[in-house]
Amino acid sequence: MLPQDITHLHLLLNHVPTIGTLIGLGVFVLSFVRQSDHLKHVSLEVLYLIALATLPAYISGLAAQATIVDRPGVSAEAIVAHHDGALIAFMLIEITGFVAWLGLWQYRRLSRMAVWVSPAILVLGVLTLAMVSSAATIGGQIRHPEIMLDETAVAVGGWFPAAAVEGFVTTNPWVWPTAEALHFLGLSLLFGILFTVNLRLMGGLRGVSFASLHRLLPWAMLGFGVNLVTGMMFVIAAADQYIENAPFIWKVAFMMVAGANLLYLTVYDRLWELKAGQEPVLVDRAVAVSAVVVWMGVIYAGRMLPFLGNAF
Amino acid sequence: MMDVFTWLEGSSLSVWVREAPTIWAFATIITLHTFGMGVLVGACAVLDLRLLGVARGIPIGPLSTLYRVMWFGFWLNLVTGSLLFAADATSRGTQWLFFVKMFFVVAGVATTMLIRRHVFGQNAEPIVVSATVKRLALLSLAAWVLATTSGRLLAYVQ
Repeated sequence: MLPQDITHLHLLLNHVPTIGTLIGLGVFVLSFVRQSDHLKHVSLEVLYLIALATLPAYISGLAAQATIVDRPGVSAEAIVAHHDGALIAFMLIEITGFVAWLGLWQYRRLSRMAVWVSPAILVLGVLTLAMVSSAATIGGQIRHPEIMLDETAVAVGGWFPAAAVEGFVTTNPWVWPTAEALHFLGLSLLFGILFTVNLRLMGGLRGVSFASLHRLLPWAMLGFGVNLVTGMMFVIAAADQYIENAPFIWKVAFMMVAGANLLYLTVYDRLWELKAGQEPVLVDRAVAVSAVVVWMGVIYAGRMLPFLGNAF
Repeated sequence: MMDVFTWLEGSSLSVWVREAPTIWAFATIITLHTFGMGVLVGACAVLDLRLLGVARGIPIGPLSTLYRVMWFGFWLNLVTGSLLFAADATSRGTQWLFFVKMFFVVAGVATTMLIRRHVFGQNAEPIVVSATVKRLALLSLAAWVLATTSGRLLAYVQ
């Protein structure tokens, strides 16, 4: 895939975080009006999936930035302001997604969520909506002079978070190696737990109930969180290494599938009811095998970045 | 010793691993090494976390299956790791961090084997997790974390 195609992908995906958060939060509020636990779970699942889909939305934006920044008729200030707003919105959406996942996990285990989850989702959702719509508005000004506002309106108090992240990673020589080491530890934790859980669904570890293995999932999420933070540090600091890198596109695509699988492991009824000694059904075996293959794809594409692509 | 390293590095296999203009040489070997790490360290982490009291609902007995998973990762990484070492024997063999990594790998394997003897060598059910086993689990977890960290940092330290 060429960077131009990824630029087009950004125009397609950039609506997902805004509209998705609006829908997720809307259904969440509706669940209180209707007093429906079912609706509340749907809204949390939407917010989790939106957090996943926001990853390619943000990353394709980096490609779009590199492609159009030097063109005439494009406002470079608006691009920087859009990226900064998008970065804050991205972080808020990811945090919302993690909290939504935690709520779903708690509900599955204990049939109720901790009391702080709903208020947290509400606050994070409103903050996200404010940031993501502001980022979207500034994004529109990049190439739409008819709605272009005063240039000074786009600079947020002289604070540039994207440049700050890039500066932190590139000026401190210890940051990149440290983040790489953490990325490998996160990989091991995430893969080890998901392999074990999926092994049960493939028919191994027969003496263990699925519900008891479900308790390990937050540790897998911890690994995922560590790798999301460290991985995004690499991508923001050295965007040109990744946006033209075919295996990186594959890695993100595999992560979408793997992330959806993690939600399936967390909430799905038939898995939860798999008792010790019980045989998993064929379809669950097939899903478990494909999940492990997809995670291996994530590792393969990630490790091959310097060899199939141009990252170091 | 340096003669051995020089000979090793000059062998046709090492030259192929290091210099062959194909994705199947160095790139694939180091990717398999990363994959083996995920399998070995990940399976050890699951066992260690359970022994330390995480997810107490998981019965310990059936987790002995994880040892087969660990051995798969271990042998895969012994083979791929030896190839990677041979390809750069004169630099790796003189790098202090490489021996730090080897120390922690040996410590990780040793503590994991001791855990097997203490936990899965018992005939009694239910399996009792003694204070000694908990200490071993903590040591094993620390050893694998340090082995992974020092291994990854090998790419940055001369």
